[in-house]
Amino acid sequence: MEAKDLYIKPGNQERGWNDPPQFSYGLQTAAQGAPKRTPLNKRVPPPQLTGSPCPVPGDFPSLTAPMTPPTNPLAPPCSMNTPPRPCPVAAPPLAGVMMMATPPPPFPVVEHTDSASSQSENEPDVDDVVTLLNWALTACRHTVKKQVCNDVAKRLKLFEDMWKSGKLSLPVRRRMNGLVQELKSCNWDAADEIHRALIVDHVNEVGQWMVGVKRLIAETRNLNPDLLHTQEVDQSLDTSSTGNSD
Amino acid sequence: MATYQEFIQQNEDRDGVRFSWNLWPSSRLEATRLVVPVSCLFTPLKERPDLPPVQYEPVLCSRANCKAVLNPLCQVDYRAKIWACNFCFQRNPVSTPQWTILSCMTKHYSTIEYRGRGPPNPLIFLYVVDTCLEEEDLQALKESLQMSLSLLPPNALVGLITFGRMVQVHELSCEGIAKSYVFRGTKELSSKQIQEMLGLTNPAASGPQSRPAAPQDPAVTCRFLQPVHKVDMNLTDLLGELQRDPWPVPQGKRPLRSTGIALSIAVGLLEGTFPNTGARVMMFMGGPPTQGPGMVVGDELKTPIRSWHDITKDNARHLKKATKYYDALANRAAVNGHSIDIYACALDQTGLLEMKCLSNLTGGHIAMGDSFNTSLFKQTFQRVFSKDHNGEFRMAFGGTLEVKASRELKVSGAIGPCVSLNAKGPCISENEVGVGGTTQWKICSLSPSTTLALYFEVVNQHNAPIPQGGRGAVQFVTQYQHSNTQRRIRVTTVARNWADAQSQIQHIESSFDQEASAVIMARLGVFRAESEEGPDVLRWLDRQLIRLCQKFGQFNKDDPTSFKLSESLSLYPQFMFHLRRSPFLQVFNNSPDECSYYRHHFVRQDLTQSLIMIQPILYSYSFHGPPEPVLLDSGSILPDRILLMDTFFQLVIYHGETIAQWRKAGYQEQPEYENFKHLLVAPVDDAQEILQTRFPMPRYIDTEHGGSQARFLLSKVNPSQTHNNLYSWGQETGAPILTDDVSLQVFMDHLKKLAVSSAT
Repeated sequence: MEAKDLYIKPGNQERGWNDPPQFSYGLQTAAQGAPKRTPLNKRVPPPQLTGSPCPVPGDFPSLTAPMTPPTNPLAPPCSMNTPPRPCPVAAPPLAGVMMMATPPPPFPVVEHTDSASSQSENEPDVDDVVTLLNWALTACRHTVKKQVCNDVAKRLKLFEDMWKSGKLSLPVRRRMNGLVQELKSCNWDAADEIHRALIVDHVNEVGQWMVGVKRLIAETRNLNPDLLHTQEVDQSLDTSSTGNSD
Repeated sequence: MATYQEFIQQNEDRDGVRFSWNLWPSSRLEATRLVVPVSCLFTPLKERPDLPPVQYEPVLCSRANCKAVLNPLCQVDYRAKIWACNFCFQRNPVSTPQWTILSCMTKHYSTIEYRGRGPPNPLIFLYVVDTCLEEEDLQALKESLQMSLSLLPPNALVGLITFGRMVQVHELSCEGIAKSYVFRGTKELSSKQIQEMLGLTNPAASGPQSRPAAPQDPAVTCRFLQPVHKVDMNLTDLLGELQRDPWPVPQGKRPLRSTGIALSIAVGLLEGTFPNTGARVMMFMGGPPTQGPGMVVGDELKTPIRSWHDITKDNARHLKKATKYYDALANRAAVNGHSIDIYACALDQTGLLEMKCLSNLTGGHIAMGDSFNTSLFKQTFQRVFSKDHNGEFRMAFGGTLEVKASRELKVSGAIGPCVSLNAKGPCISENEVGVGGTTQWKICSLSPSTTLALYFEVVNQHNAPIPQGGRGAVQFVTQYQHSNTQRRIRVTTVARNWADAQSQIQHIESSFDQEASAVIMARLGVFRAESEEGPDVLRWLDRQLIRLCQKFGQFNKDDPTSFKLSESLSLYPQFMFHLRRSPFLQVFNNSPDECSYYRHHFVRQDLTQSLIMIQPILYSYSFHGPPEPVLLDSGSILPDRILLMDTFFQLVIYHGETIAQWRKAGYQEQPEYENFKHLLVAPVDDAQEILQTRFPMPRYIDTEHGGSQARFLLSKVNPSQTHNNLYSWGQETGAPILTDDVSLQVFMDHLKKLAVSSAT
């Protein structure tokens, strides 16, 4: 799973009040087994019962004068080194003072920007991807029912058409390329995982045809391995000139 | 205190058990004087990555009315090859060839998982889909359902029923034209009639002699419930082609939704084809049932759906009848081991009050959202299929829990997402609490966080000597179907020392688990609230709290200022204070559906999450130090702080006045104020860690001083400063709250007065 596939999108504030943000499939699965960084489960007892002094969350002088947070929390705030900025509200403390806030998160949380038209050197080639898919499908035709193969073919065609008419975003194209590479290497679980991630993250783009890819993976993995190796594989694909896999 | 806290935590980590008392009073009389009963929270399938299942069946005591499982508390004589049951003292000879391995393992593990009996039946997912939705919602729901086909366990069986004015059961044939059976949404049918109409009975037999075909007969069942790996493509297309209910909805009317019949057909279909196999009915609805049995409101928009006011004035026409209808369906499903989920997305109420038993009795989920096109629904739904660290689904099916106890204890009952199996035995107390009169319960659907509260009664007579061995024991045996379709048996056996309450009351007091007790008593309160008047429940709760304070408080008679509680009880009154104000016991401000939703989640979550619901967590972020927990009090709301509040159902990030002004001025964008940017991000990151895993997905509120959404924070904090006492309080910090609610200080003052009074 690439870093680009770990992202968070805002929720749908138009349809649901206070709709929470949406996490990509990659982020959600990564979080499943991981222990919590800082479990927030502590409480403070009220002062009346234990007789201890009331834990007031801190008394501080008025905030009309700009202040820097003290390096020693017990010390009174010291004045700033630089003159105050001319603004109606006192400025927050400057950086350069030792930070005691929570460290940045371990996950590469990046706001996802969808640019279907952006051309990078990693732009996968549709024909390469389709050829690999068809290679797998052809291998299936020996043993898998004709109707099923035709249904898969129909969906692969839809996928190809959508790609060629620019209806698929770059992450989908990129990840489909990754998927077929895994398929070629017979890494069935990895290919399956990519298909799942794609349908969760981009259901509106892939929903109509992804089930065909899902079935293709499922049928191909059950094939006799000899059947796969006897298939003619285009020599040019072996050099994986089309760019990124994992 | 540190030792007991560690002991309590270790036990929870290892066995998923938290007792209210970790030293048990040795007589019935003393136990009742302790106010909080001897009881526990038990999480049957607590996630234990270190516990690989044993590939043998458990070794059982041979006494017919015991059958306890061999456990670390049993005496074992390896030479004579005999073990003595610690519950009934029966001496059992060795009976299996795997004796040595098994007994060694059992000696060391208080919790251990065995192989169960029974064939590995496939799991079944039956979608029941409301088509009376707005176009945008229907599209979003269709996409979520298509996506879910990729998330289902690969060999699962899947089925589809759609409903609106009519109910359609779709045949999922592998090829050819899609067919469906249509039912009228108003006509109630018996289970047998449904099975006949769907052709599930033997076609050769006629008349009253027809019997349902064997469930394993693929020719009969393949039509409506088929393996997902075979029908995924066709079903994807079928879902993609679903249209809105075609019956036009006139102005001023609601769509006609035959939810009751749809569910009845779903339950009947599963009953007739796959009884006693793990199955999930997943119902998706965008509005209330308006037609047929189980209707909750009529189709005239000018008649609103019942509110609390209507209910108290006995003005809810359909309430009793609808509740009874769904109750009957729920019980039928539970008997067959099938669970029912409800995913309700609408801006108005949908009838959760009437339908909640469908999920509460079967362990199914309830998700409540505004629209199917929201992240809240989509991600909550995705998380139903979440997997653990081993890549296995967390959901489990067909669970039964049996509890055995030493003869000094009897079982009063359980409160949680279960039904009684009416298993009679010597361990049953006459005093029923929750689902009582049994030592066995059925939990049709479980997750690693599903937690039951179990209540016991000490039956030893007063002044009887402490039982030999000095310890009482409880054994929990959970049988269930794992998501990989295998049956398993998990056995947990725990023990606690008996103590003479008259001479050892201080030890007993220090063994008090105030967190577990708060949740245990809260569940009792919520259970009562279902059948009693709200004020009566509050009075009961208050009385228990006063009695507990009278028993364990240190004070001089009639001198409230002298009152103190030891550390093991210091948080308990605060928990009760917040519980009284919570949506579980206060219906004001929440609709009947919302209350049902909150209570549904409250009586099934584990201890940590339940406590969050009772008393939300509040953390403060500032320049003055690392994030710290602060009092859930208006005094914690300060201008130069960011607060993160977790109520379980909502995550609120509140920016104090100064922080909000800085944010508005854009300081976080400037490089020299990078530390401010870090400060703003810190609570967001911590919130995200919670958002990533919590089920159901909570709402996420980013607000600030003066913001309208700040009310979520203001309504939860203790209003120590209100418009009534602002100037008499003396403190100048904190934000005053406009309310007439009594504050924690006032509550505590009253409590102390009542506890020390010789008159009470």
